[in-house]
Amino acid sequence: MDDIVIAILRSGTPLVYVALAGVIAQRSGIWHLGLEGLMITGACATIVGTVLTGSVGLSLLIAVLLCALGSILFWFVVEVLKANQIIAGLGLTGLGLGGTSLAIQAIFGSQGAVSAPAGLPKIGAAFGAYGGLSVLVLAMPFVVFLTWVLLCRTRFGLRLAASGEHPFAARSVGANPAMMRLVALVIGGGFCALAGAELAAGSLQIFSQNMTAGRGFMGFAAVIFGAGHPVWATFAALFFAIVGAIGIRAQLVFGDRIPHDLLLGLPYIATVFGIWLSARLRGGARGATGGFGELKDP
Amino acid sequence: MKELPGVVLASRNATVRYGDVVALDDVSISFSGGMIHAVVGQNGAGKTTFARMVSGLVRPAEGSLEINGRSIAGGNVNDARRAGVELVHQSFALPPSFTVAEAMQFGADGGRLYTRAALERRWQAHLDALDVKVSAGAQIRTLTVEQQQAVEIARALVTDASLLILDEPTAVLSPEGAEKLFERIRRLRERGVTIILILHKIREVLAVSDTVSVLRGGRLIDGPLPVADMDAERLASLIIGPSGREFAGDDLEALTGALSPVAGGADKTSAPQSEILSMRDLSTRTDGDGPPLNSVDLAVHAGEIVGVAGVEGNGQRTLVRAISGLADIMDGSLEIDGRDMTRSSLLARRAMGLRVIPFERNVEGLSLTSALWENWSVGQLLGRPLHAAITPKGLRQGCRAALDNWDVRYSTVEQRAGSLSGGNAQKVILSREMDDAARLIVAAQPTRGLDIGATAFVWEAMRDARRRGCGVLFVSSDLDEIFDIADRVVVMLAGKIVGEFRAPFDLASVGSAMTGARA
Repeated sequence: MDDIVIAILRSGTPLVYVALAGVIAQRSGIWHLGLEGLMITGACATIVGTVLTGSVGLSLLIAVLLCALGSILFWFVVEVLKANQIIAGLGLTGLGLGGTSLAIQAIFGSQGAVSAPAGLPKIGAAFGAYGGLSVLVLAMPFVVFLTWVLLCRTRFGLRLAASGEHPFAARSVGANPAMMRLVALVIGGGFCALAGAELAAGSLQIFSQNMTAGRGFMGFAAVIFGAGHPVWATFAALFFAIVGAIGIRAQLVFGDRIPHDLLLGLPYIATVFGIWLSARLRGGARGATGGFGELKDP
Repeated sequence: MKELPGVVLASRNATVRYGDVVALDDVSISFSGGMIHAVVGQNGAGKTTFARMVSGLVRPAEGSLEINGRSIAGGNVNDARRAGVELVHQSFALPPSFTVAEAMQFGADGGRLYTRAALERRWQAHLDALDVKVSAGAQIRTLTVEQQQAVEIARALVTDASLLILDEPTAVLSPEGAEKLFERIRRLRERGVTIILILHKIREVLAVSDTVSVLRGGRLIDGPLPVADMDAERLASLIIGPSGREFAGDDLEALTGALSPVAGGADKTSAPQSEILSMRDLSTRTDGDGPPLNSVDLAVHAGEIVGVAGVEGNGQRTLVRAISGLADIMDGSLEIDGRDMTRSSLLARRAMGLRVIPFERNVEGLSLTSALWENWSVGQLLGRPLHAAITPKGLRQGCRAALDNWDVRYSTVEQRAGSLSGGNAQKVILSREMDDAARLIVAAQPTRGLDIGATAFVWEAMRDARRRGCGVLFVSSDLDEIFDIADRVVVMLAGKIVGEFRAPFDLASVGSAMTGARA
C-alpha cells in the first residue's frame, strides 16, 4: 500500500503545482496553455543547473527566475501586444519544449538524457517508508493552503478574481487588471518551475527531452475540472495521479492481456472524462474570457 | 443638517478626447456640497465621460480638477477615491460570481486577511446601516437589478465618500424602483453626501435634484442652475438646442422624459385588423440568457405598434429569440400571418415577412468589419440557392439607393460598417429590415444609445411601417418612448406577460406591473 501512495504523491505533486499555476492565471483572466512549456523549462534548468553549479538550491532559484521570465514574456505578448492568449500559450509551450532540447544540445553536444549528481533534498528517515520523497512533496499541502488563503481569503485574491471576471469593476476600485495579471503569471511561473523541479529532480535526478509528456496540459485540465478553485484543482490533479498509478499497477496484474499503451493512457483518458464531467456538472466552462481567448476589454 | 462644505467639485477647462473624438470640450463647472446635482443631456453629450473623468477612470487631456479643495491630476482612480469620489456605474461594476460581502471587500480598505463569517458580519452591518435589504452572503448574479444597484451604492459608500456620482441610475429601474432610489439619495444628502446624478429624463430631474447642468455635444451649455426656477419646457430646449427640428405630437416630451404621467395614444388610427403575429401559451427552454418564456400569449395586429415594456432582463430577449426561431420552444404555438411557424426556421419566417432589428446593433445587427454594401446585401441574398451567382455591382447599386432613401450619412458603400455613428448604423439596419415585403417588424431597443434626432427618425420609421399595414413589436425599457409610439403595451416580468394596457397609458399602473405589484 505504501508504495502506491508514494507513486501517487510522486506523480501527483508536479501536477498539483502546475494546476495551482493554472488556477492563479485563470482567476486573473488568462487561460494558461503555456504551463507545459514553463514546466519543462523548470525541469531542464534544475537538472542542468545542478550539473553545472553543483548546487540544487541555486539551480532551483535559476529555474524559478527563468520561468518568471517566460511568464513575463507571455504577459507581454498577451497583454501589451494583445495576442490571442490560446495561441500565445501554445507558443510558450513550443518555446519551452524546443528551447530545452536546444539547450541540452548546445551544452552537452547531444540530445540524450542528462543526469544530475544530486536531487532535491529528501524529507528524511523520520517519515519511514516515505522518507524518500522530496521536500516539495511535503510542502505541497502547505502551498495549496497558502494559495487558497491568497486567492479566496484576501483582498488581493478578490481583486485578482475581479480582474479576470469583470476588469472594469477592478479598474473602478483602483486596481490595475494588467498588473494583476502580471503578478498572477509570475507567481504561476514560480509554481511551474517547482513542478518541473519535482518531476526531474524529485526522485529521478534526470532530464530528458519532452519529459513533461503533457503534464502541463493535464494541470490545465485540472484547472477546468476543479472549476478554478485551488483546492478542487488539487484534488483533480491528485485524481489524475491516482488513475495513473492504477494504470501502472494494472500492468503488473494483467501483464500482456491488456495492451499496456492503453493502461499508460489512462490518466489522459481520465483527463478527458474529467473535463466532460465538469462541463456536465456546471453547464460548460464559463471563464473570464470571451469567445476564443481574447482578453475582455478592461 | 450639516454645515455646507462649499465647493466640492470644480473642473476647469476640462477636455477629454478618445482618439480624434472630443468627448468633453472645455468644461468648467463647480458643484457645491450637500446637494443633489443633476447633469443632463442627450446620448453622446458627454455625461458618462464627465462622470468617468471625475472618478479617475479617464484622464482629461487638458484642464484641471479640484475635489474637496484638493487638486487632482486625473486619470487615477485611487487618487479620486482618496479625495472622496465614488462612481456608481450604469451597468454595475460587480463581478457576478462574487458574494455581496466580497464585492464590498474588494473595494474597501483594511481587513486584508479575513474569514468568510467575519466578512459577512462586517458588511451585513454596513448594509443594514444603509437600509439595504440584501443578505451579505448572497451571490451577485442571484440579485435583482434593483438589489444590485442598492449593493453598488452601498459598495460606493464603503469608504467615506463625500461625493457620489450615479451614472444613469434610473435607466435600469421601474418607476417605483426609481422612486425608492430617490428616497435613498435624499437620505444620503441629509448625511452630508453630495450627489451628482447623470440623468436623461426631465421628469426625474425636476423630481429629485437641487440643481441641473446641461451638456450638449461635449460642451457645458448651462449650469448648475437651481431647479426651483426651471421648467420642463426650458430644460428641454436647453437639452435639444437650436436644431430647428420639428417633432411630431408628443415626441419632444417623450424624448426628454417630460411626458405627463398619463400619456400616449394621441395618433391612434384605425380599428384593429388581422393578426400578423399570434403566440399562444408559448414556453421556451432555459438557455442561460435571461428567464425563459412562460405561457406567453401575445398578438400583434396589422397596422399596430405593440410596446413590450419591462425592466431589462425579464425575458424580452427570449421573446425576440422565440419569434426569430432562435429559442427552443417547449410548448405552445406561434403563427405569423395566420400560418403556423412554431417549428419553422428564421429563413421561413423571413419569407413570411418577419424582420428583426436586434438588441445588439454592433454584434447581431451588423458586421462592423464588413463593407456597408455587404451588410445590406445579406438581406437580399437570403433564400437564394447556394450556387446562384452574386453580382456585386448590382448589390452596390441597390445598397446605394437604399441608403440614400433612408438618409444614411456615408461616403462610400465600401466603407466598413464600424465607421458609422450609432444613428447611421441603425439606419443601415432599418434600410435592410424595413423593406416593402416586411409584414411583422420586431424592433428590440432600436433607439438605445442614439441621439435625439436619430431616435425621432427611428420612431418615424416605425410609424411609417404601421401606416403601411405592418405589425410592429417594439421592445424598450424606456416607458416614455413606449407610451409615445405604442398603441398597446404589454409588460413582461420574469418571462411572463403580466399586464396589458391601452392608451392613454398610466405611468403608475404600468410601473407597478413592471415590479409585480399587481401580480
